[in-house]
Amino acid sequence: MMRSRFRDQVPTLLVATLAGTFGAFLLQVIGLLEAVISADDVAGSSGTVALMLAIVATVFIVIAVYVSAIVTANTVSTVVAGRTRLIALLRLIGSSARAQRAEIAREGLVIGLAGAALGILLGSGLAFALERVAVATGTIPEVGFDYVTPSVLLPAAAVVLTTWLASWVGSRRVLRVRPIEAIGNANEAARDELVARRGRHGVALAFVIVGALLLALGVVVGLASPLGVFIGLVGGILSFTGIVLAAHVVMPPVLRLVGRVLGGSPAARLAAENAVRNPERSSRTTIGLVIGVTLVTTFSVTMQSYRELLLAAAADRPGMEQAIDEPLTITISIFTVLIGFSAVIAAIGMVNTLSLSVLQRTRELGLLRALGFDRAQLRLMIVAESAALTVAATLTGLVLGFAYGWAGAQALLGSIQGEPRLVVPAVPWAVFGVILVAAALLTIAASVAPARRAMRVSPVVALAVD
Amino acid sequence: MQIQPSDLGLIARVAGLGKRYGDGAGTVTALDDVSLGLRRGEFTAIMGPSGSGKSTLMHIMAGLDSPTSGRAWLGDTEITELSDSALTVLRRRRVGFVFQSFNLVPTLDVRANVMLPFELDGRATTIEERAWIDELVATLGLTARLRHRPHELSGGQQQRVAIARALATRPDLVFADEPTGNLDSRTGREVLGLLAAASASAGQSIAMVTHDPIAASHADRILFLADGRIVRDAPRSTPEEISAFMLSMESAA
Ligand SMILES: Nc1ncnc2c1ncn2[C@@H]1O[C@H](COP(=O)(O)OP(=O)(O)OP(=O)(O)O)[C@@H](O)[C@H]1O
Ligand SMILES: [Mg+2]
Repeated sequence: MMRSRFRDQVPTLLVATLAGTFGAFLLQVIGLLEAVISADDVAGSSGTVALMLAIVATVFIVIAVYVSAIVTANTVSTVVAGRTRLIALLRLIGSSARAQRAEIAREGLVIGLAGAALGILLGSGLAFALERVAVATGTIPEVGFDYVTPSVLLPAAAVVLTTWLASWVGSRRVLRVRPIEAIGNANEAARDELVARRGRHGVALAFVIVGALLLALGVVVGLASPLGVFIGLVGGILSFTGIVLAAHVVMPPVLRLVGRVLGGSPAARLAAENAVRNPERSSRTTIGLVIGVTLVTTFSVTMQSYRELLLAAAADRPGMEQAIDEPLTITISIFTVLIGFSAVIAAIGMVNTLSLSVLQRTRELGLLRALGFDRAQLRLMIVAESAALTVAATLTGLVLGFAYGWAGAQALLGSIQGEPRLVVPAVPWAVFGVILVAAALLTIAASVAPARRAMRVSPVVALAVD
Repeated sequence: MQIQPSDLGLIARVAGLGKRYGDGAGTVTALDDVSLGLRRGEFTAIMGPSGSGKSTLMHIMAGLDSPTSGRAWLGDTEITELSDSALTVLRRRRVGFVFQSFNLVPTLDVRANVMLPFELDGRATTIEERAWIDELVATLGLTARLRHRPHELSGGQQQRVAIARALATRPDLVFADEPTGNLDSRTGREVLGLLAAASASAGQSIAMVTHDPIAASHADRILFLADGRIVRDAPRSTPEEISAFMLSMESAA
């Protein structure tokens, strides 16, 4: 039992490892850069540069860890949903819900430790490889940087803590598993999946309202001072948290809309229903990606607006325009890649949850096979479901990100030219294009493994009594 | 000209059917040279001790599993040589299923579950089919439950939904594997009564696996399996006769 327990947690380990790797890699690279800069410190400004670099790294690591925490919590929920029968059985023979939950949190701790350790190794290894390449090509001098630094323990500790915490939060569901679910003709979809959560709705709504008000305030203050962006930031975080909390209310309408586009074939219709009928499951699957896409979009809309504003200001001085543009574009690109990593973690989380949820629906798929769904239809259904989820998440993220990005740009830049003005949000087409292509790839990636597995399901499993 | 199963009034037939699992010393012979024909419009019960091969036989007859040897027909179609996709279409249009548990798609409501075979077939129902489905739903007492999801129903109600779904397409043959196995005896009787009525009034051919002598007494014909072979082929019997035979089988073993 122990072995199978950890096997369905492999996705959690993957996410923890990725976040750990990212954190360690960034810190090592920053350390390396510091070493390189102080090696030929002529201006004596290496201290400030180091501080700036550290701040930037911290921001991106925090974002990556945050996203991975949400992804982990969702993965753990999915794992718990799949173990309902087993948990119910253990409850039936006398194990307490709290003990069950503690067990899962303990797994989270172990996984977090493993992921952090792997992350340190991989991240440092990657940074080392990068250094070797850079030295070999003569980009940087040999500085003899020491990779054994205590600072990489910080992101590692963050990964351990958040994985542990996220497992605890994600395992909330254990408390709602009733022993009775182990017996009788319990369906795979447990009742509580569908129970409305009034309390959560209230909190979510409050977050969204207060957040939106602060965001508006930020925009208004931004007309007078760039400090408005900080008010806006708080508003953005609050309102977005509200949306994340209420994902099971926000996502179904979007999914329904997208489902309609899928077409009328039975496989597509069933896929659309699958995506909508279990709001808890589909919001779990999509919310990570929504967060990732929102982050990337918000960030690039704000930055692009900033860039265009600067370029417009420098337009009448020809030499100036180019001098600004190149470093700006490079900086924006690097930042976009860094924040894009969070979106990648989110995407991997989505692939995982989708695979898990297909795995958990083996009997349902067997039933469909028994009732006359052929293999191709089953595959089409999985692909369509994956497409519906990806498209819905991407669209939501783009819309939210655009709104946040514009608010951010307005709050940041509304007063930059001495007088209040309206900032026209710039559209980072390249980033949008990358997001759309990535979404298409994700749809395929997320459905390949589950579809293959689904096609192997024998109709006999639906008749079997377990 | 070859004689077709339908010429003999048979809806399904198997000849020399064998099914073995594994090989070498650990071989399990689930079915051993089974030959039988199910008559059109009849309600056939299949009985036998646990592990005697009842489910295996039913899976092969329904095109869910393939035999190691022998042949099987549904109507005049030899299903043992059909491809997976042809079998799929056959199951969709010509076979109905009621299982012991997990009969329904949890994300779909009662109506959608009943309509699922048509949905899977990608076709709309005709007026006549709709009338039949309405009648089924009413007979099975599900009219007020159409918008409910499976988890909101009792086991007996869920099983009635499964029966409605199995009968909705008017399949050639409905297979039921211990359909009352998860229900209390009263609810089980009700469900059986409904199956028997479908057979008697609508001429639906049904093959049902059961352990319950009272359930089997609803059937027109009772086949007894032991160790993968048919050991007795009995006409309609009383529960007492059935129990007596089952007991004699046990003491012989
Ligand atoms: N997938 C399998 N692999 C190996 N052996 C199997 C498999 N499926 C069935 N068997 C064996 O085949 C034999 C017949 O099984 P079957 O399920 O048909 O019995 P049954 O009559 O339906 O029993 P029950 O009344 O308990 O449902 C049993 O000995 C069983 O162990
Ligand atoms: Mg059986």
